[in-house]
Order: sequence, then C-alpha cells, then structure tokens
Amino acid sequence: MSLRRAIRLTLLAGLLACGVVAAKEPKTGTLSPTVIRDLYYGDVLFYFYQDDYFNALTRLRAAQAKHRVAHHADEAELLLGGLYLSYGQHLEGGAIFERLLKADAPQSVRNRAWFYLGKVWYQRGYSVQAENALRKVEGELPPRLEAEKRNLLAQVLIQQSRYDDAIALLNGWRGPPDWTAFAQFNLGVALVRKGRLSDAAAMLNAVGNLDTADEELLALRDKANLALGYAYLQAEQPESAKPILQRVRLQGPQSNKALLGVGWAESSEERYRDALVPWMELHGRNLLDAAVQESYLAVPFAFAKLNANSQAAEYYTTAIRSYSEEAARIDESIAAIKGGRLLDTLATHDRDGRYGWFWQLENLPNAPESRYLYHLLAGHEFQEGLKSYRDLGFMQRNLEEWDRSLEAFGDMIDTRRTAYDERLPKIDASLARQDPEALAQTRVELESRLNAAERAGDFTALGTAREQEMWATIQALEDALAAQPDDASLNPMRDKVRLLRGVLYWQMNEGYKARIWTTRRSLKELDVALKQMEKRWLLVQQARRNFPSDTDAFAVRVAALRPRIEALGTRLAAAGRAQGEYLASVAVGELETQKERLASYQLQARFALATIYDRAANTEGKP
Amino acid sequence: MNRGGAWVTALSAVLIAALGVTTSRAQDAEPAAAGSAEPAQASGEFQSLDQEVQALKKEVVELNKDLFVLEEELLFPANTQVAVFVSLDVGSFFAVDSVTLKLDDKEVANYLYTARESEALLRGGVHRMYLGNLKVGEHELVAFFTGKGPHERDYKRGATLNFEKGIGAKYLELQISDRVRKQQPEFVVKEWE
Repeated sequence: MSLRRAIRLTLLAGLLACGVVAAKEPKTGTLSPTVIRDLYYGDVLFYFYQDDYFNALTRLRAAQAKHRVAHHADEAELLLGGLYLSYGQHLEGGAIFERLLKADAPQSVRNRAWFYLGKVWYQRGYSVQAENALRKVEGELPPRLEAEKRNLLAQVLIQQSRYDDAIALLNGWRGPPDWTAFAQFNLGVALVRKGRLSDAAAMLNAVGNLDTADEELLALRDKANLALGYAYLQAEQPESAKPILQRVRLQGPQSNKALLGVGWAESSEERYRDALVPWMELHGRNLLDAAVQESYLAVPFAFAKLNANSQAAEYYTTAIRSYSEEAARIDESIAAIKGGRLLDTLATHDRDGRYGWFWQLENLPNAPESRYLYHLLAGHEFQEGLKSYRDLGFMQRNLEEWDRSLEAFGDMIDTRRTAYDERLPKIDASLARQDPEALAQTRVELESRLNAAERAGDFTALGTAREQEMWATIQALEDALAAQPDDASLNPMRDKVRLLRGVLYWQMNEGYKARIWTTRRSLKELDVALKQMEKRWLLVQQARRNFPSDTDAFAVRVAALRPRIEALGTRLAAAGRAQGEYLASVAVGELETQKERLASYQLQARFALATIYDRAANTEGKP
Repeated sequence: MNRGGAWVTALSAVLIAALGVTTSRAQDAEPAAAGSAEPAQASGEFQSLDQEVQALKKEVVELNKDLFVLEEELLFPANTQVAVFVSLDVGSFFAVDSVTLKLDDKEVANYLYTARESEALLRGGVHRMYLGNLKVGEHELVAFFTGKGPHERDYKRGATLNFEKGIGAKYLELQISDRVRKQQPEFVVKEWE
C-alpha cells in the first residue's frame, strides 16, 4: 500500500536541517519527489523535521535493522548521511555522502552536498577536507551558493597562507553585489598579506566606500576601512591611513580600533594634540577592549610629547591602577574557570534541549569571564568544542535513562518467568484436557455416520432426539403388539400405533433433505472451528515450549547491553572531562594572554612614569 | 621615525588582529565579528577530541538502536503488536492540535501536538502515536482529531475502523486528508500489512 502524498524529500532537505541554508533558498536541483512507502521512514522524518537528530538517527538505525524501510533503502542511506552530519558526525556523514554521491544523484544535488560538506568541514577547522569537498563541485552552483562557495574556498586558502591561490580565485570575479563586496574584502586581505598594498587598496577602498544601509554590509565596510587603514599604518603611510580610518563608524564594533589608529596616524606626524582627540574618546570607553587598554598608554604618551608632564603622570598613574584592577579581575575569572564555573554557566545557560550540530551559543551568559572571552567564545573552534561538551553530557544522561530502563526490563523478565512458572500447571492441565486429535477423530466418525445414513436413505438417523425417542417407542409398541395373540380387541391400538408411525415417518421424511444439508453445513463449520483450535493449540504449545528460551534470550540481551552502557558511560564521562578541561585550558590561555598584555602595558606605564619623574627631577635639579 | 615609545610595539597586537580579518556571512552571523580572525586550522588537540567524540557518538547511536529494538520486542512482541500512525495529506495549511485514540471502547492515547510537531507532520513526517498489544481477533478503533484549518477555522472529526488482528504486527495509519472533500480535513484510515 502506498500513500498518495508526495513528499519532497530531498538531499537538500537533509542539508537544510543543518541550518546552513536560508529558508528562502530556492529548491532547485532536488531529487525527484518521494512517495512514503514505509511508515517507519515517515516516522524518522517526523523527528528529523523537528531537528531532533539524535532521535531520528536512533529510529532510522532501528528501522534499518528491522528491515522497515526497505522501499526507501537508498534515500534512507542519504538521510543517514545527512543526520550524521546534523549530529556533528561529519566524518561518518562525509563517508556516506562520498559513497552515495558517486552514484546516480543529479549533479546539482551532488554539488550542493559537496558544498555543505565543505562548509561544515571548514567550520570544524578541517581545511584539507573542506577544500577537497568544495573542489568537487562541478560547474556552477546557483549564483548565491556559488558566491558563498567561492568565498569559503578563498578563506580556506587564506587559512593555509596560500594567498596567491586565493588571489587567483577571487581576482576579477563578480557575483551578486553583496557577495562581490565580501569577495573584494577577502581578496584585499590576501593582497595585503602578500604585501601588495596598492592592489589591496583598490579592493578595500571599493568596499570601504560602499553606499549601503544594510547592517551587514556596513559592518563589512568598517572592517575594510580598518584593515586598509592599519595596512597603511604598518607601511608607515599615516597620511593615507587617517582618512580611511575616519570612515569607520564611531559606534560600530570596529570603532575602538579605528580611534586608536587615527590617533596613531596623527601622532606619527607629531600632531599630538590632534591625536589626543580620538584617544581621549577611547579612554572613556570600556577597559575590557584591547584598544581601550592601549589608549591608557597613548593618552599620557601624547601629553608627555606636549610637555604636559603632570597630566601625563596623572594618566600613567591611572593606567597602572586600572591595569592592576583589570588583572585582578582576570585572575578571578581564571580561578572561576579552573573551578568549572564557565562550563557550568554555559551549560545551564542554554536549556532548550536541542543538541544539534548547529546549536549556537546565541547569548553569552552574564558572568564576568564571558565578557573577557567574548571573542574566544564566539570562535568556531570553541563553539564546536562546547557543542561536543554538551553532546557528551546529553549522551551520558541518555545512557543513564537506559540503564534505569534496563533494570525495569530485567524485573519484567523475572516477573514473566514467575508468572510462567505459576501458570504452567494450569496450562498443562488445560492442554491435557483438550485433545485435538480425538476431536478430529470424532468429527470423522460423525461424517461417516452421516454418509452411511445418506447412502441407506435412513431418514430416521437424522431425526431430532425427540423424534428418535418417539420412533423407538413406536417400534417397542409394535414389537409388543406383534408378540400378542391375534386379538381383535387390540386392533384399535394397532391402528393408532400405525397412524402414529405414519405421521412420524412422514414428518421425518419430509425434513430429510433439509436436515442432510444442515448437517453437512454444521460439519463444515466444525471443520473451521477445529482448524482454529488446532492452530491455537499449536501456538499455545509453541509458546509454552518457546517461552523459557525466548525469555532467556531477552535476559541474555539485557545482560549483554548492561556492560556496554557501563563502558560507554565511563568513556563518555572521561571524554566529557577531557573536553571540559580542554575548553577551560583554551579559555584560561586566552585570559593569560590578556593578562600578559596588561602586565606588559603596566610595565611600560611604570617605565614611562619613572622617566617623567626622572626628567622632572633632572629639570628641577638644574640651576 | 620614533613612533612614540615602547607602547607602540604593543600596538602591533591590535594591528595584527585588524589585519587578520577575513570574512564571510557565516562568520558575520556570530556575535564577535570584530577582530575575530578566520577560524584557524583546528588545533591537534581539538581534532583529536573531536574525533573521539564522533566515535563515541557513533557507538552511542548504535547502542541506542539496540536498546530501542530490545524495548520494542520485549514490550510489544510482533504477535500482539499494534501500531497507530498519524500523518497529514493536506493541500492547504492545516495544523493538528490533538488526536485521541480509543481501542475497543477504551481510550489508549491522547496526544497534543506542539507547533513544531504539527509542522513536521505537514512536511511529511509520520508520527507513531501509539504502540500497544492486542489479541488476535476483531477490534474496533475510534479516533478523533482537532485542528485548525485555513482562516483559523476549527475542525473536529472522527473515524471508526473495525479491523482484524492477525498473528503478525498490525499497522494502522490515520491520515488527515483534505482530498476526500475539498478543503475539509477528514480522517482516512488505512490498514498496512
């Protein structure tokens, strides 16, 4: 039986579940519509469409094991690949795709699969696999995907410091306007890193002068201006850097760095008063930001250059104190992370119960350390590590639940055994009372009696019990009368008996055919009932015989699963600890770097302050 | 040119960060677009942990499969198993709110669908709403569903099915369909072998 409904189950749909495609993405290049032909395939889809990948995976594997998705064997494999991918098992998912995509999937579907695989691998930092997958895309994807693919590949190349390859890939490429801007930006960065500043400037200027109201492009514009401005500063061209950095929005996320850079450009040209304008603005901002931290050195530096030594000393003193306070706060955060607080906070922060591959920590918890780790927490590697940490916790809880269930299964098996032992005597007694063979024999005898009566035309044999009783009485009376002497006084009685005999004879003779038919029908009904009885008899016998071995088989399975749960539970716990320790060590490492930077700033501030005091002392000492 | 003292050397940290930015939409979607370099080649430790986690996941999925199958075979042996599935086959939007099942005049399941589940049905998912045991022989299934159709219109419909439970597992599908009467969702009950 099949459903009429056509489901547009596609590989794309599988990958849509990864959350990497905008919902508006046109659904071109899909596999042909699929009709649900196995209910259990639909059951898997029910969980898959809810992004409940773990449940969908478990059910799909179970359905495959029980041969319940036979009509969808190929699609099921494809879906399995998508689910592994969705559940973060990109190596397993990738292997399935590699195997399946060699086959007869349409090229457009293959291309999309490679694209998404490449994207997932890129995000997990597997750049070699990412590049291989992206390069397997043949021909061109739909324009927007093609644009994204090209940019992804460029980023993979830049990651590997293969700037010439990245430049060759992006140079002269044009796609949709927004993606063209991203490509120009990435190209500009590759050119800067290659030391081709004037070529880079053309690209970054194009992006840096974008006329747009789109927030994403505005952010990109800021980044382009910042990158170019700093590239000029590094190339000791402060006069070129300043107007570029001034294009960065004052309130955007790049604004702190831009202000610092503008100040630096001014100061490089010895316009310290002008440099103080952006630096003082920066000085009033949040000290968590590295650029703000640096402004605490920059401001007194400019004052010193302007010979305003007392202000310079005052600001250096403030800087030293602020750095100390900040370092102390970082120490507290390091202690908190080492005590496991960061992961606890992060783990409790998100309780939506979903453990998918594309889970993202959307909002940072309001803990002091998360503010220091803003960039780190948002990075791919940390996010992926965090997902693994959560998944490990989820799997541990999952196995704990199963462990409790297994205990219940064990109890159930014991109860069944007890019930079986209790019921067995009754069952045996009941089985002993009923003998299907004897019943079948009786039925055979009944049929032969009927046949004999029919052959002999013995309609009396089919009379009712009452009729047969009456017939016997009449025969007894006739016999009795026959034994009497031929006495006329008995004639009236003989006439009566004859009449009665005639009436009964007529009665039985008239119903004879109908009775034959009814009896034959009853025999047929008896056949059916006997067959059913035999079947049930066999089933009961079978159940009686198999029950102990079936129950033992279940008990063996339960017993075999227990150690697997225990062993995996132990390994999950160990992996969870390792993952937690790794994340904590990365976080602590990041904080230590920040602390070292603060310490270095503090040292410089102390040194500068000492220099000012020395200079002042020397000045005072002079006649 | 004197760039103005020791602190300038420290500035290079910010400078390098600023130059380290490549960008794509995927990265911009994250909170820390500013200053975040592109994902570096993942560290060896990260990858080794990642691969270990993947291997563990695979084993946990396989173990879950075995446990899932054991649970079903133990609690619902094939001889007595009956499973009721709910699906949607509607041309226009229809959101299922709830489905109630009665077997032989006894309520055995009452399921309230979340918006997410309802959406999954609409996309082609099939929900195994009930799994139970029944004796061989004649049985009666009565089902009701409630839901919302186009223009916020409320629907409540019911259906009855008399079926024969044989020795193997019995699958029944309750399909909510609007193809029988246009734009009017109805139950279509199907028996699967």
